[in-house]
Amino acid sequence: MVAVPKPRRGAITGKRWVFLVSLGLMAGLLFVPAGHSDYLNLTFRNILMYAAMSYGWNLIGGYTGYISFGNVAFFGIGAYCSAVLSKAGVDNLFADVGLALIVNALFAVAVGLPILRLRGHYFGIATLGVALGLTDLASNLDFLGGSGGASIKQIGEAHFTTYYYAMWAVTLACMIATFFIARSKLGYAFVAIRENEEAAQVLGISPTRYKVTAWAIGAMMGGAAGAVFGAANGFIDPPTAFAVDNNVFPIAMAILGGMGTASGPFIGALLLSGANELLQQHFLKLHALFFGGIIVLMILFLPRGLMYLVGLRGGMRRWLSDLAVFRV
Amino acid sequence: MLRIENVGMRFGGLWALKDVSFEVERGTILGLIGPNGSGKTTMMNVISGVYKPSEGEVQYAGRRIADVPTHDVCHLGIARTFQVVKPFANLTVRENVGVGAMYGRLGAKRSARDAFARTDELLEFVGLARVAGRPASDLTIPDRKRLEVAKALALDPEILLLDEVMAGLNASEVDEALHLLRTVNERGVTLIVVEHLMKAIMSISQRIVVLAEGKKIAEGLPQDVTSSPAVIEAYLGARYVKRQAAERERKAAAPPAEPPA
Repeated sequence: MVAVPKPRRGAITGKRWVFLVSLGLMAGLLFVPAGHSDYLNLTFRNILMYAAMSYGWNLIGGYTGYISFGNVAFFGIGAYCSAVLSKAGVDNLFADVGLALIVNALFAVAVGLPILRLRGHYFGIATLGVALGLTDLASNLDFLGGSGGASIKQIGEAHFTTYYYAMWAVTLACMIATFFIARSKLGYAFVAIRENEEAAQVLGISPTRYKVTAWAIGAMMGGAAGAVFGAANGFIDPPTAFAVDNNVFPIAMAILGGMGTASGPFIGALLLSGANELLQQHFLKLHALFFGGIIVLMILFLPRGLMYLVGLRGGMRRWLSDLAVFRV
Repeated sequence: MLRIENVGMRFGGLWALKDVSFEVERGTILGLIGPNGSGKTTMMNVISGVYKPSEGEVQYAGRRIADVPTHDVCHLGIARTFQVVKPFANLTVRENVGVGAMYGRLGAKRSARDAFARTDELLEFVGLARVAGRPASDLTIPDRKRLEVAKALALDPEILLLDEVMAGLNASEVDEALHLLRTVNERGVTLIVVEHLMKAIMSISQRIVVLAEGKKIAEGLPQDVTSSPAVIEAYLGARYVKRQAAERERKAAAPPAEPPA
């Protein structure tokens, strides 16, 4: 009987211990409101929000390999769901998130079926078009407040804390969902499509079905974050809902942490938001430059993100030879 | 079991296949040969539903393949390997094969765990168990070919199309591959083998179909096919056949001249 070596873990989700560390950090973030600082609550709520959006992007961009530049659309739709419900007299976070999940899933399927036929740059540009189109649509729909925006009724006195916990819960849900999806049959279908769509198809995977699934689940994640943000912010207008930052940051975070891993978006969000916060305090005019520099360096030298370093065996030599693969 | 009827496949102004018909019986091994560019791989693509034929049709168990989406062809029981192997480079060998076991003909009934159990059996069978945990990008050429076969077998096919799985292997590796294919066939899988290595394909095939420039020029038992003038012409050229014929005539007409003293 030949001893069969244990299969290498982590090709599909990243290292398990890193995920446990991430869960530990998440648990730590539960204690942020204990600081009784609105500044801290707001800062960390933003980090969590970006992490949730990054998870949403990660499913289609990281796992399925379809680089989207329009996931902010789902965030914006989520935020507007809160606004619409508030206008209708419903002030309940669960209702906000629930509506955002449903609307985003439907919207993602409707939009995904045509545009997920495109690949590469064409897909990216189409998604960007969706986001830009929605910005204009929201600016011109009176019942959404038009370009003037809409206000959302806040709940209670301790609302910073409540909204913080809500965002925390959304992010945790995204994280755990990603972990389990990645290890399920569904996750393997996504990754197979990313690795080689033709080969995946011959193995019985319907690319359209699974691409739309990844896109829709990601849309629900971004939408949930948007719904909580809308309610927490108390006001939403097109430039806030569909902000360029909200489109770019989650992508950069997933890339920094590690695309196609269950911990990458969270780690990336912590590091990039942290760096952004510090840079903004010290170099107000230059922080965007640093930010761009970090992204360029990452793409050049660590295209698979920090999670890749964690799993690296064979040291510098392996790293350099893997880098060469990306330079073809 | 599989019927190819007057299949034609056109790319722009070029007919890669024209009016090709043959049948494959259940449980047999069919060899598909022909010079470079004769349409072998195109035929594989038509049978596996990657291309829809421009003319004619492919019937499998009474169904027209052209009506079936590419991703459902394997659910009918047709699996294939690619001449240019297409591993999922960042996944381990085990995960590569696992995807097939999850989404192939019997995949719908399997959980991820069951799929990996089936995968481990297959890796043992094709001789990849020793590299199960390595990323597919690390594999040597013979192992990549094995992986390609293992992925196809993971679909639990009734008929398996093998596109040049022996190209680039050395003599002993070819023998191993032939042994593997025979074992697969003995387990009840019908095989269509595309191969350049004459010795290998002659020894394994029960019937052979020869393509040249997109047309079927011969079909029959291995020994009959190799002696067919049309096949020799396709491989070695019309001049060669003419010269051979002329030589035979000359030999028949006059005994060879004595060498000059």
